[in-house]
This record gives sequence, structure tokens and C-alpha cells, in this order.
Amino acid sequence: MAAQLYKTSSGHLFHAGRIAIITVGLPARGKTHVSHSLCRYLRWLGVSTKVFSLGNHRRQVLGTAANLPPGFFSLENRESAQVRHNIAVECLNEMIEWLKEEGQVGIFDASNTTEERRKEVHDTLISHDIQPVFIESICDKPTIIENNIRSVKITSPDYIGWDPEEAVKDYWARINNHLGFYQTITDLSLSFVKMINVGDRIIVNNVKGYLQSRIVFYLINLHISPRIIYFARAGESNNEISLKTDADLCPAGWGDDERTLTIWTSARQSSVQTAKPFEEGYTVINRALMAELNLGEVDGLTVEEIKEKFPEEYELQQKDMYHHRYPMAESYQDLAVRLESTILELEHEKNDVLIIAHETVLKCLYAYLFDRPEDEIPRIVIPRNYLIEIIPSAYGCHETRMEIVDTFNNPAPILATRLTSA
Amino acid sequence: MSSNTRVACVMVGLPARGKTYIAQKVCRYLQWLSISTKVFNVGNYRRKLHGAHQMHSFFDPNNKTGESARKQAATEALNDMVKWFKEENGTVAIFDATNSTRSRREFILNYCRKEDILVMFIESICQDENLILQNIVDVKLSSPDYKNIDPEKAAEDFRARIAHYEQAYEPITESHLTFIKIINVGSQVVINMIQGYLQSRIVYYLMNLHILPRSIFFSRHGESMYHLMGKIGGDSDLSPRGKRYALALPKLIKENLGDQPLTVWTSTMKRTIQTSEHLPYPKLQWKALDEIDAGCCDGKTYEEIEETSIRDQDKFNYRYRGGESYRDAINRLEPVIMELERQQNIMIVGHQAILRCMYAYFHNLPHEDLPYIRIPLHTVIKLTPKAYGCEEERYRFDIDAVDTYRPRPPPKQNAQQTA
Repeated sequence: MAAQLYKTSSGHLFHAGRIAIITVGLPARGKTHVSHSLCRYLRWLGVSTKVFSLGNHRRQVLGTAANLPPGFFSLENRESAQVRHNIAVECLNEMIEWLKEEGQVGIFDASNTTEERRKEVHDTLISHDIQPVFIESICDKPTIIENNIRSVKITSPDYIGWDPEEAVKDYWARINNHLGFYQTITDLSLSFVKMINVGDRIIVNNVKGYLQSRIVFYLINLHISPRIIYFARAGESNNEISLKTDADLCPAGWGDDERTLTIWTSARQSSVQTAKPFEEGYTVINRALMAELNLGEVDGLTVEEIKEKFPEEYELQQKDMYHHRYPMAESYQDLAVRLESTILELEHEKNDVLIIAHETVLKCLYAYLFDRPEDEIPRIVIPRNYLIEIIPSAYGCHETRMEIVDTFNNPAPILATRLTSA
Repeated sequence: MSSNTRVACVMVGLPARGKTYIAQKVCRYLQWLSISTKVFNVGNYRRKLHGAHQMHSFFDPNNKTGESARKQAATEALNDMVKWFKEENGTVAIFDATNSTRSRREFILNYCRKEDILVMFIESICQDENLILQNIVDVKLSSPDYKNIDPEKAAEDFRARIAHYEQAYEPITESHLTFIKIINVGSQVVINMIQGYLQSRIVYYLMNLHILPRSIFFSRHGESMYHLMGKIGGDSDLSPRGKRYALALPKLIKENLGDQPLTVWTSTMKRTIQTSEHLPYPKLQWKALDEIDAGCCDGKTYEEIEETSIRDQDKFNYRYRGGESYRDAINRLEPVIMELERQQNIMIVGHQAILRCMYAYFHNLPHEDLPYIRIPLHTVIKLTPKAYGCEEERYRFDIDAVDTYRPRPPPKQNAQQTA
């Protein structure tokens, strides 16, 4: 796959020119989640990408919702309409400036719910030689919306200090206010993607271009239902760490979903054996593509031995740990490219996943989930004997690290101890 | 790709909607990416069981004999498909038939479910009469069904056959099914309930296909200074003969294309850029088109490279120390292939190993033969995609060049020792 295969000096990949993604949809339809996930993925591909959030821009200019006069968000309020329009224009212009200077893909995260507004945005972008693609999020399942409000919206700066139930009520009012004005996209001349109920159905209209189709490819795999990803390093083959599930691995109370835990391991013995205790009651999938970084001719050597046997290669490796390949070995970049399909499968997975793999693999996956630059990847530390719990949310992932107690010597019933909370 | 995934892509749509074309393309693409794939064409089973020359009344939904005969063909094809999954460890089967009724789709779905095969329906809808007519003329009239039959009569019969299917056609509306609907060759696409990465990958590929007529030209760069020295890799200039080739190229392309537009793709290396220098068309440089990276062997002659014989044992997978294998090259060429599918007239001025990979994609050649494909210097290869593959023409220029072809070594003679 194309992940990070090459970069051009302009930073524009695939000869794709500049692209603007414009989100469309009522509040709490997952627009922000889609925006940030897409941004993270495109950056992983090496495409210079940035989210321009109208909500953040508005808060910067006017302060949080608490500072605003009541009825500010009411679309019937003509006074505030002008203010809101001006802010939207400013935010869009900021994105256009950034695209002209350095960026390739700008994501304009706003509701853009009327035909008139979309036409205006479309024409402005075309006049700057930027290709617009609209992504409309449609959701007719109240549970998904309610879930989104509770997990994302009421924790936004607009509702700091609010009683949660009041905040939810207030947010529903904001949504209802939009309802009468909302026009779904019907203009077939536009380039658009409609996502219905977080990825159940996707309609793609008039989308052209390599990078654009790649974006759709990603969106097909994306969902925003709550779930948890766990990382654990594979045990050393002669010193097994007995990792066993406990109550913490399968939290209840996420509402009406029916997630189970699936375990992914590489096809290597150490991972497969670490996953052994899960074989009863859980699905364990061995993925050959999740094999550790191939070290080629330095496999099994200590750092001192490498310095002695391959002094020049060692020097090169120290200079560029991400791209360097030892003789017959893979670079971290090779590994990242190899993991591209695993990443899309991880996005696609609706169940909770426990990934048991070698540290090198976990480093790459971690870098993807936490939007880390590639040169940092070789330096990321995934400690042994820890379970990392990762919860994806609209603005990014949150992690908690738990120590795994070695029950081989200490057969205590509690196996994972929660240590820190993000 | 997880090893235990089995996907059946089940085509849906009226006759002459490009189903077979799509089926063949998907098959070729996945095979090129080393994913085991096979097409099961129910029409072939029908011809085998009931003979080729069935007139349109055979396809009338009210003709009970015809109906059960066609279902028999479908069942045999399904049986073979399941057998293939089990015995040959297949990953993707493409079930090519009209499957235009709900009941037929339900039948296939239940059959596959029992065997733990995920079903993805691929429906092709076309409302453009001209396109349909074009397809009938290009593809259907040359099908075995109409061998030795007057074309006018054949066209008439085929239209009657379509009419029978139209009577009973139920487009997919079942929202619980996994499907992709391609409307008017991709101007709109509806994607429903995709299960897993492999399916999304197929959808992604389908979204990039088009069926407009076009030509693809391949040329290696002209003879280079390194060629004269017998060295591989590097970034050398063209030799005097290579420069003559560059000067001669535009005339040939012009004769072929007339005033049609063309875009020229080159690698970022001097020898391809210099070769395309005189071509009066827009040009793009692709890093991904750079020659296979020979790693530590870069700049050496084959005589200096000791590992040549090891490489010949598995040339497709052999990776030069610090460099690339053909398999690696295919991975980085995947975006180029995807972009090539989307474009119209394209000329690629490239390198031997890279053009071998591209050529193998268009002609569906197996990986073990790929590193031995002949792509001579000072020769233009013109490919014209058709429904069932590519037509090819080669234009050899009368400008001498070194021969860089290294044949496959004869197989080891161990077996004969016992004789």
C-alpha cells in the first residue's frame, strides 16, 4: 500500500493538488470524529493535513457558549446570523491561506447545513484552485446521537461547569434548532460522500482523483462507535508472562452495544503462546502481517556486536532510525507500510481488540493512533509487563497503562492493576 | 490479509452492463497483489450443460425448463467455487452471473453462509443506452453463444434476452446485504455494510475503474551510459544512441494518437526525463516509477555481483542487500496502477523492472515469469484495454542498443543424475 511510500519536495502527494474536505450535518453526527480520524490517517500517509474547526474558531473569537447571549445559536436569530457567518468566513479563509502556503488537505469542520452555504464555500474554494469534497454525516439512530452528545459534546469547553443533564438538554435544543434549516445534499454536480449511520451505508457521488478515492477507502472502514483497543507485548519465549483477562478488559455500561473482545496476535510463537490463555471463550486471530520488524543480518546481535560487525551501517542507523535498513532487514518505514492493512482493519473492527505483538509492531500502531511523527516511531517505548488501554474519541485517543502481575511466580487472582488515568 | 478470510463477490445486473469486465479486472488486480482469486462464470457452465446456441426464449422467466436449467448451471458453479475455496485455499471468488432476482441472491447467500464465505454483491447499473449498445457490439456478439450467427440477428436476439431479464429484474434494496452499486460506470457509487478490509479494498479499486477507450504506451528510457558500461542502477545520462531514440519518439506517438491528448509519466531519474524531453505533452515525474533499488549492487556490473545465481533461484522475491525485490516494487507501484486505471491516454517512460511489473498487471502474467518478461530497449509497446484483456502492438525503432535481457537459467539438472 501507499503509506508513506515517498514524499515529494512540495509535500503534495500523488500529484493530487490541494483538497478541501467540508463536513456537512447536524450537530452530534460525528463530524468532528470523522474529521480528526481522517486527518490522522492522511498524516500517516505523509499528506500534510489539518482540521479547521469552526467551533474552536468561534470559541477563540467570542469565548465559550457561556459568554454568549441566549439564543445565539438559534438560526432564526438574524443578529447573531451575521456574526456567525463572519466567523465561518474567517475560518474558511484561514484554511485557504494554510493550503496556499503549506498544506495539501484542509478539513473544514462545520455544519454547512444549507445548499446556499455549501454553494458559497464551493465557489470560494474553486476560485482558489482548491478541489472541494463534501462529507455529509447522516444519522437516524437516536442512540448514536445521544451517545455522541454524552461522550463528546458535554465535555467540550462550551459546557465547563455545567450539570451534565442540563448540558445534554441544551445540546438537544441546539440540534433541534438546526432541524428546520437542514438540507441534505442533492446537487449531483458536487463531489460528495454521504455516510449513513456511521459507515453502515456510504454514497459516493462524482468523486474523482486518487487521493479523494483513497479518502473514501478510509471512510468505508471508519466507524465511531465506542470501543477499546489494548496493547500488550508478546512474552519472551522462555519467560512466559501469563496474561489473562479480568473484569477490566470487558467494561460493561457502554449502552446498548454488544461488543466482545477479539485477540490479534502475530503468527510468531511468542505472540501465539501469550494469547493461549484466551483460546477458550475469545476469538484469536493470527495475522502474519503483524510479524516483528525483520532485523536481517543483525538479528540476535547485541548493540556492541552490531557496532563491531557493521560499523558503517550502525552510523547510518543512528542518523535515520526510521528509514534505515540493516543488510537483509526491514526499516521501520517498511514495517509501517506492511501494517497499513492492519491499521484499516483496526479502524474497521467494532469489537474491542487486544493486540499481542512484538514491541516494534506496537510502536508503529501506537504512532498511528496517537498521531506521532515518523521520526519518533523508533524511540517510542512500549514497556514489557504493561497492558495499554486505548480509548478512541472524537479528538484523539486516550490511554491508560496497567501493570500486569506475573502470575507465574505470584498466583494472585488480580492480574492487571490500573495505574494511571489519562 | 488474514489467512482465513473467504470472500465471494457476486455480480448483479442485467446483461451487457459490464459485469464480466468488472469480474475480470478485479481478478487480475487481486492476483497481481498475490491474493488468490478466481472467476466462476455461470454462462460457461450453462453452455457446457445445455449447449451454446440457446435462443432468447431459453431466458424467458416463464420458461420453466430454461429456468431450472439455468439454476442447475448456477448450482454447479457454486459447488466448484466452494471446492476451490477448500482445496486450493482460495481467498476471493468472483461469481459472474446476472443474479438479478432477490430469490437467487438469497439462495447464493444461504449457500455461502453454510460454508463460512462472506458474500459481497457487486451491482452494475447503467442507464446510458449508447453504452449498453456499445457493449453488445463489442463483447456479446463475439461470444460463443452467437458463433456463426448473423450479427444483426444476434443483436436482435440479445436484446430480446435482455428484455426477459428486465421483466424479472429486482435491483438490490436489501439493506442487510453487503453490496456495492456502481451507477453509470462510477458516477455514483453506493456502498452498504462492508465487512472487513479486503472487501473495502475491492470497493476502492472498483471506484477507480472506467471503460472509456484509451491507449497506454510503455517505453523504456533510451540506451544509457551505464548500459554501455554494463552497469546496473545509477542515475546516468543517455548514450548518443539513446538520445537519437528520444528524438525519434514524438513522431511515432503523433502517428498513433493524432490530436488526442496524452500525459507522459516518467520516473525522477535523468534517463527517463531525457528520453521524454522532446515529447510535446504534459509530463509528470513519479518517484514510485524509479527503477528497482539495487541497494549495495547499484553501479556494479552483473559480473561484479556475486549473488546473481542466488537471485535467479527466486528472482521475484529476491531483495538486493539494502535494496528492493520485484515484490517490493509491486507494492510501491500499486498507487501508480490505481491512477493509471483512472486516467485515459498515458505514456510511461520507465525502467526495465518497473515496466515488467506494470506489463504483468495488464496481461495477467504469473509472478514467477514476471522478472523474465522481454521489454527491449528502443521499442514502444502500445496496450489497448478491451473487455477480456489488452491488445498489444510493438514498435521497434531502427536504432541499435545493447541487449540487457538476461534469460532465466535452465532448471537444475539434479534429477538426471539418477537416470
